[in-house]
Amino acid sequence: MYVLRRLLTVLLVGGLVAGILMPSAAQAPGPRYGGTLRAGMQTDPVGLDPHLSTATATRNMMENVYDTLVMYSSQGRYIPGLAESWTTSEDGITWTFQIRRGVKFHNGRVMTPEDVVYSINRIRDPNTKSPRVQDFAEVDTVSASGPNTVVIKLKRPFSPLLAKLSSSLNVIVAREVVSRDGDLHTNPTGTGPFRFVGYTPQQRLTLVRSGDYWEVDANGRRLPYLDRIEFVFLPDAVARATALRAGSVQWIEYVPSSEVKALRADPNVEVVGGLSANFRSLYINNQVAPFNNVKVRQAMAYATDKKEIVDTALFEVGGIVATGTAIPPGNFFATTRSPYNKVDLDRAKRLLAEAGHPNGFEADLYVTSTYDFLRTPAEIIQAQLAKIGIRLKITAADWSVYLPTVFQKKYVLTILGTSGQSDPDDFLYNNFHSKAGLNLVNYADPQFDQLVEQARAVSNEGQRKRLYEQAQARLLDTVPMVFIYHSTQFEAVRRTVRGFEHWPNTSYLGLRRTWMTAP
Amino acid sequence: MLHGRQNALKLAGVTFLGSYLTRRLALAVPTVFGVVLAVFLLIRLVPGDVVTQLVGLEATISPKRVDELRRLFGLDRPLPVQFAEYLGGVAQGDLGKSLRTGLPVGRELLRRFPVTIELAALGLLVALCVGVPVGVLAAVRRGRAADYLATGFVMVGLSIPSFWLAILLILFFALRLGVLPPTAYIAPRENLIGNLLHMILPALSVGFVLAAAITRIVRSSLLEVLNRHYVRTARAKGLAEGRVILHHAMRNALIPVVTVVGLQFGTLLGGTVIIEQIFSLPGVGRYALEGINLRDYPVIQGAVLAIALAFVLVNLIVDVCYGFLDPRIRYE
Repeated sequence: MYVLRRLLTVLLVGGLVAGILMPSAAQAPGPRYGGTLRAGMQTDPVGLDPHLSTATATRNMMENVYDTLVMYSSQGRYIPGLAESWTTSEDGITWTFQIRRGVKFHNGRVMTPEDVVYSINRIRDPNTKSPRVQDFAEVDTVSASGPNTVVIKLKRPFSPLLAKLSSSLNVIVAREVVSRDGDLHTNPTGTGPFRFVGYTPQQRLTLVRSGDYWEVDANGRRLPYLDRIEFVFLPDAVARATALRAGSVQWIEYVPSSEVKALRADPNVEVVGGLSANFRSLYINNQVAPFNNVKVRQAMAYATDKKEIVDTALFEVGGIVATGTAIPPGNFFATTRSPYNKVDLDRAKRLLAEAGHPNGFEADLYVTSTYDFLRTPAEIIQAQLAKIGIRLKITAADWSVYLPTVFQKKYVLTILGTSGQSDPDDFLYNNFHSKAGLNLVNYADPQFDQLVEQARAVSNEGQRKRLYEQAQARLLDTVPMVFIYHSTQFEAVRRTVRGFEHWPNTSYLGLRRTWMTAP
Repeated sequence: MLHGRQNALKLAGVTFLGSYLTRRLALAVPTVFGVVLAVFLLIRLVPGDVVTQLVGLEATISPKRVDELRRLFGLDRPLPVQFAEYLGGVAQGDLGKSLRTGLPVGRELLRRFPVTIELAALGLLVALCVGVPVGVLAAVRRGRAADYLATGFVMVGLSIPSFWLAILLILFFALRLGVLPPTAYIAPRENLIGNLLHMILPALSVGFVLAAAITRIVRSSLLEVLNRHYVRTARAKGLAEGRVILHHAMRNALIPVVTVVGLQFGTLLGGTVIIEQIFSLPGVGRYALEGINLRDYPVIQGAVLAIALAFVLVNLIVDVCYGFLDPRIRYE
């Protein structure tokens, strides 16, 4: 028995070495087809109909069943999806999309421009009660013209349209399924790389490879590589990490910061990711004295050591230091040249004195106790601002009490942030335009307003970038809040899983190009 | 033997059992109503509602939209109206729909209860298989090494939090040894063996604490009985010690054990929340926890109602068991 095992080992090792030394001619280059990926998910989807959900979980499990008109790449650019190309009229009102031909739904029917029109209008229709009806508020009409053309006419120029069209919940669906079932909760039918097979709540959701998918890799080979994806639900973060290390799943989402180091130490496992589309800041109520004085706000920005906060409150891996404004570094539109990237206490004190507070003052910092990543920075900020004489009194409240209070702007200072897709308009217009719903800091700067309004009106990528750079520079001058960090998000895979790429907006489109080594 | 069993049944008051059960079930109605009312009011006293929880850190939902959502969920109406409507639904067997997923609560509970019952039953099985023999051994060998070991086990078992034990078990059996699957759930009708393999660790985690409790109660009640005259008589007439313990002493010692087991089983039906969470079991506890986290009122109400009903039922079964164990207990 023992001898036999030795022999087997020798044979196996020998085979392996031979395999490494002499790549077999029969083996095709590039990724291998086949295999079932078991993916450990944190929560169930909230309904399966992408048009009726805002849940990240629904997006992440259904986005590979469907396609969008325009896709958001891992580099943060807008690339062709079901639309092969598009043009914009001079005035920015009329957008014309050329629809890919011969794309099939999973029920075998060929997708047509009418499906695109139907899908966008389904989201816009108030009777659908889609939570994203606002995404297309600037759209006037959507119509099919010719065999493979869709024309979207806007009420006024609105360049974030591409961002809305690429949101992987705003997908193109098959009309007949909705008219048969009433909604898309039970029979998701898309054009995506994977076909929906079944879903048992709190147990698993299964997808299999669709043979008809249109996208190919760099070598012209058809995507996707995986035969099957089984999403299983493992709500406990430690249990999820353990399941990955034990090999009962090969891919997990939401690795908590506290587990990242342990997983990085495991040779069978690789941690992927980091960037995600959000920002966390010290929110300052801009209309409350003394914070209505820009010098006070600038002083606070100069006194805040962002790296210290990330290193101590977030275990180093829980956040990426904000080197610009709300747009995370690495995003195509981000500026990262903030004057506050270096702590300057002398300058902070001088500014405070110029504002008439040479001895500082007292202020309330109101935080939520529900999310650690929004609470633990509080004490460190308190210590940092104490150095320039700003004495903070911290009070904490449960999220359900905290959020309504902050929504009513009944606070002076707080730690908060929002997450979005990755469009600069999400980050800048929605949070800082004087009329925007999420402008919780009472920031009102006509110059900034004008810049982000202008940016909405141009569709040229380069021009947009320039305008958003100016808008971000304005934010850094006027300091509506102190930008501290961007929360990270990690996935982890077993080493047998290759090619999975982390998307900065935390979408799992990367599964389309994921493959597994031979078992 | 058969004759004797029938006799015991009759003595236990089978004739009275029917009306007794009816009376007990009728008494359960106000209990359950009280639970429904209390839960309905308590969860609404907790600040916040499903809307603030759903909004989370989403950038796309503005404060204006929050009010719209609240209206959509019917949370802006007066409490008595909401309660009357809910009660009307419950009376017709309709527990409402989850505010988060829109799925009917009743159907979801029916799907989840078997999982919780399986976990509770297996946990109890583990506990009985360990607790009873160890308890008996400790009582019989009182003051000797076996007794001290058993008492030590009781101390450890009652002090270890089950969730901590669960994580240790996963790390050891699933990760270090790799002999058992770590988490996830497989339905028994899909694959019975797989189901049982996945249930071993959860059942051990739940059963360990319970085993300690049972050991303690078996030991103390057996010790009490062993000093009784009839036990001395049984020994004096020359019965084998095993027979004395199992047939004479145990039977009387079982009453408190059954009480404890019954209560614990009732608690298990509603109280395995953390274990279900850690082992990713789709049971009632995890359902209730998700409901609580999101302030999903119909889900919380439905889950608590179901747990209350289960508790009432288990208590009833325990009461009936008394009669079988001790014919002197009657149901008049």
